[in-house]
Amino acid sequence: MDEILAFTRALMDQTGLAHFWWGNLVMIVIGCVAIYLAISKRYEPLLLVGIGFSCIISNVPGSDLILPGGLFYYAYQGVALLIVPPLIFFGVGAMTDFAPMIANPKLVILGAAAHLGIFVALIGAKLLGFTLSESGAIGIIGGADGPMAIFVTMKLAPHLLPQVSVAAYSYMALMPLIQPPVMKLLTTRKERLIRMKQSRQVTRLEKIVFPIVIGIIVNLFFPPVAPLITMLMLGNLFRESLVVDRLAKTAANDLMNVIIIILTVAIGSTMSADRFLTVDTLLIVLLGLVAFVFGTASGVVGAKVMNLFLKEKINPLLGSAGIASVPIAARVSHIVALSEDKENYLIYHAMGPNLAGVFGTAISGGIMLALIGVK
Amino acid sequence: MTMPDTVYGAVLISFIDFFLSMLIISGIGVVLALFPLLNRLGRIDDATLRKSQH
Repeated sequence: MDEILAFTRALMDQTGLAHFWWGNLVMIVIGCVAIYLAISKRYEPLLLVGIGFSCIISNVPGSDLILPGGLFYYAYQGVALLIVPPLIFFGVGAMTDFAPMIANPKLVILGAAAHLGIFVALIGAKLLGFTLSESGAIGIIGGADGPMAIFVTMKLAPHLLPQVSVAAYSYMALMPLIQPPVMKLLTTRKERLIRMKQSRQVTRLEKIVFPIVIGIIVNLFFPPVAPLITMLMLGNLFRESLVVDRLAKTAANDLMNVIIIILTVAIGSTMSADRFLTVDTLLIVLLGLVAFVFGTASGVVGAKVMNLFLKEKINPLLGSAGIASVPIAARVSHIVALSEDKENYLIYHAMGPNLAGVFGTAISGGIMLALIGVK
Repeated sequence: MTMPDTVYGAVLISFIDFFLSMLIISGIGVVLALFPLLNRLGRIDDATLRKSQH
């Protein structure tokens, strides 16, 4: 009888059951909620289905997928070795028209104004006892740029990757809920009704020169974040040159889809209960929300400050689009404007600060890495 | 240069980063404001480019 019991115990030890604890159950529930939100509510399904599933599997103790030799492990290496984030930017560049940004250069400054949230979260994190590097990684959530948040976090505090990436992508999905109340609180109805003049036409030559010029500027001044923006610009050059349509389409569709699969699986695989179920996670999620609220507010206030000096006033709702999340933030500006005036189409104008926000986050991240002393 | 790992360091980074970001992105804005000048160099025809697909 004893032998049978010993044999059964040895058998149990070889399965995951012996190592299963309540934290795993909590994380499996979180993974299921992510999948539910993706399927039922359509919240970022491209991201949440993969993240949710790999989160569930990573919390089943017997799973070898997250160990060396397992596919999730190698997917994570793509993130850890900073291969995946530049490739995402490559795809984003191939699908993005930068004309709204080129056409209205004065709105570009909103791409920096809307990043006050980064610094509020950074100081908040430091006050809560995080190290300066960790605080920088937490602050960058406020940039609302997933790949950039991953990139900077991997350089500053790789152990915080699951929390930072989950907070960044979750709040990006929730921007239509987070931003409008802040935007309405800080603007009058009269300001929200301001109509923008139609932008000028951007020529093919300008569109082709743009990625080359930005590529040079970024590599010259911000080597720490240059890989991301350089790939963004390469993708954009493929798109705008019109002579390599095949490559541009592959970058924007097939390659992007493959990379999204790798990214989501990698992020989900880092969400093991022992790493994720901590007080720090709660603090990071809270600081991420603070960052998004302050970023939205500072963008709107920035636009209002600009109006003090401009003869032709701009709609301050454009300010919140300076948060990098493309095109969600621009769409929110557009929808809030439409809710006041059914014929006030802000989307094209809002894309300008929105795209500038991508550069704003990259510049902030680059300066932060340099100041903290990370190469 | 590295910052002290203190609240003071965090505040200092924030100030420097925010104002430098504003300055640099304004610089990008200035460069973009010069872009219409490029059109004096000539015009690229979209249809011709599309024809030369590889």
